[in-house]
Amino acid sequence: MALKPRKNIRIEALERAGRSSAFRRYRDLIRVSVREVVRKRRRYIGVVAAIALSTAGFIVIITMGNDLKKNFNNDLDLLGGATIINPYFEKKSYERLEWFRPRTMEAIAKIPGVLSTTRVTLKTGAVTTWKDRLFGFNLVGVEASYWNVFSFNAAEGRLFDDQDVAEGAKVVVVGTDLARQIFGGDKEAIGQLLSIDDNLYRVVGILGGVRAGDRSQFAFLPITTAKARVVGISDPYSAYVRCATWDDVVPVSKALPQVVAASQEDRGLQINVATEPLEQVKRIFWWVSLFIYSSIVATMILGGFGIWNIMMAAVVSRTREIGLKKAMGALDNDILYQFLFEALCVTTSASLIGILLGRIGVEYMSHLIGANPPEGLFLMCLAGGLAFSIILGVGSGLYPSIRASRMQVVDAMRYE
Amino acid sequence: MNNTASQDNFTAADDIVVLVSHLTKDYFNGEEKIPVLKDINLEVRRGEMVAVMGPSGSGKSTLLFCLGLFQQPTSGVYRVAGVDVLSLTRTQQALFRRETVGFVFQTCDLLENSTVYENLELPLIYAGVRKRERPDRIRHALDMVNLGHRIRQPSNRLSGGERQRVSIARALVNDPEFILADEPTGQLDRENSLRVLEYFQKITDEARTAMVVVTHDAMTSEHCTRKCVLSDGVLEG
Ligand SMILES: Nc1ncnc2c1ncn2[C@@H]1O[C@H](COP(=O)(O)OP(=O)(O)OP(=O)(O)O)[C@@H](O)[C@H]1O
Ligand SMILES: [Mg+2]
Repeated sequence: MALKPRKNIRIEALERAGRSSAFRRYRDLIRVSVREVVRKRRRYIGVVAAIALSTAGFIVIITMGNDLKKNFNNDLDLLGGATIINPYFEKKSYERLEWFRPRTMEAIAKIPGVLSTTRVTLKTGAVTTWKDRLFGFNLVGVEASYWNVFSFNAAEGRLFDDQDVAEGAKVVVVGTDLARQIFGGDKEAIGQLLSIDDNLYRVVGILGGVRAGDRSQFAFLPITTAKARVVGISDPYSAYVRCATWDDVVPVSKALPQVVAASQEDRGLQINVATEPLEQVKRIFWWVSLFIYSSIVATMILGGFGIWNIMMAAVVSRTREIGLKKAMGALDNDILYQFLFEALCVTTSASLIGILLGRIGVEYMSHLIGANPPEGLFLMCLAGGLAFSIILGVGSGLYPSIRASRMQVVDAMRYE
Repeated sequence: MNNTASQDNFTAADDIVVLVSHLTKDYFNGEEKIPVLKDINLEVRRGEMVAVMGPSGSGKSTLLFCLGLFQQPTSGVYRVAGVDVLSLTRTQQALFRRETVGFVFQTCDLLENSTVYENLELPLIYAGVRKRERPDRIRHALDMVNLGHRIRQPSNRLSGGERQRVSIARALVNDPEFILADEPTGQLDRENSLRVLEYFQKITDEARTAMVVVTHDAMTSEHCTRKCVLSDGVLEG
């Protein structure tokens, strides 16, 4: 009888054979793992949904959070005027009041962190008559950049522009209360003629914007027109400097005196910084960021616990399978990699779904608030989400996988 | 050099594949010690098929788990083909089990959500068998248990007897040196039992494999070359 050649059961030979077939073995095992995940997809629906949603939430919060923050900052900022510095000249004894020269304004605009600058002339207690009634108000001569510095817009009609200023046009923008008192309403005021010091000015617009309330009793003329026609109007002794961010306010206000002194006589120069609103805005902003970032951290932690939990449950409910596979010849590492690979497979596909959902969410939100989140940030989130899912998969899958691989076959088989 | 050494050892040991002496196994239930195997002595040669009989709860499955290296005995000597397998590391034991042991569970577990083919393929994957060699070996093993026509069937749609036969085929597919079977014919009718037993006889004869079969059934023990009875933790016969 022909005897079957006996296998070589020396341990060294077995180990050598195991090493030489390792690549083939792991490739096949990966294929088997994917197949099993696909077949048991129902078991993973919960965790896939949890990870997909937290990834989507993560992406929406980060991408939109920045945008919302920016919008929010803008509004807050305008309310408090926290980034606007007001340098002005104060009258010292009998000497003539100094005023800001054009070259000084140019120099100020060049200070790093300065967004825009403007200067104003003022006449308090101006009067006009309309249908035999007398009205008093403050008259301000401004450059077109004034609107920009304070983010004013036109509640009605239009605000005058650089061309009006250059031409010294006889146009006027009035505050909303003043328009109501004189003409009976915003709409009624547009196109009317307002007489100041025997000159007639056409009302082209009503002042609007977050901070328009402070100036609802003002009338605004182009600075050139005011200089030329209004009797008793001041020189532009007051200016406004708007900084790009809150962090620029302090350095810019420190730099201002030197810059002014380098360009002109700085007698009586005062710098007015709105310190209190600045601090307040910073505080609110800090709380908002804290809220945003803690929600992100919370979603991450929840997602991590979710998959950890499911993987642990899987190890317990699959003890028989683990025992069986070991009886079929699986080494500890085969089981370890199988579980790890399944965890990775689940988290990566879940986060891909999450990224897709996140993208849709971002599109929808930006449509809603009319913002335009930077594409780079989204890509960063995409990479972050994928990296996060891999870390999550390995991190939360590792311990359960190690437990699974260390299980004694007999315990697994006797487990009922 | 190792090869020839092992060859010499083997012939010197007179074809003894399994050698067990003074093996004991205690279970612990909290503080309480339950001695299940008290003094087991057993030799199985190539081409032998040993039946282990005994009352329920006498420790037959425990013995088989020890022989399959699924659990460590409390004390004693256990050699397979001259190798002291109890002193191997965990990984070495697993490697050893993968290459030499075929195990048929009493509960005849199959992988759920998998076909019959996939159930038989997994041991070959673990053993690193090339993909193109697998189908032939799987088909051959299934034919031997009369299940060639069920190769693509999902395992959870098999009858109890079919499951048992699949788990037998799975134990044999990787050509093991010795086979441990826990009640392999427990759920089979006479005809299929005969077929399986004849197959067992054939592979022990031709392939000179060693086999230990736990059974309650007289017909099965008739087919074996030797009968042992496990009672009160001691193996006799
Ligand atoms: N992990 C364990 N802890 C404590 N006792 C155990 C454990 N496993 C098995 N036993 C006990 O050991 C004894 C032997 O069990 P075993 O499964 O080996 O019996 P058996 O001979 O195979 O019985 P059967 O013929 O019913 O399959 C039983 O009394 C069982 O209750
Ligand atoms: Mg049993």
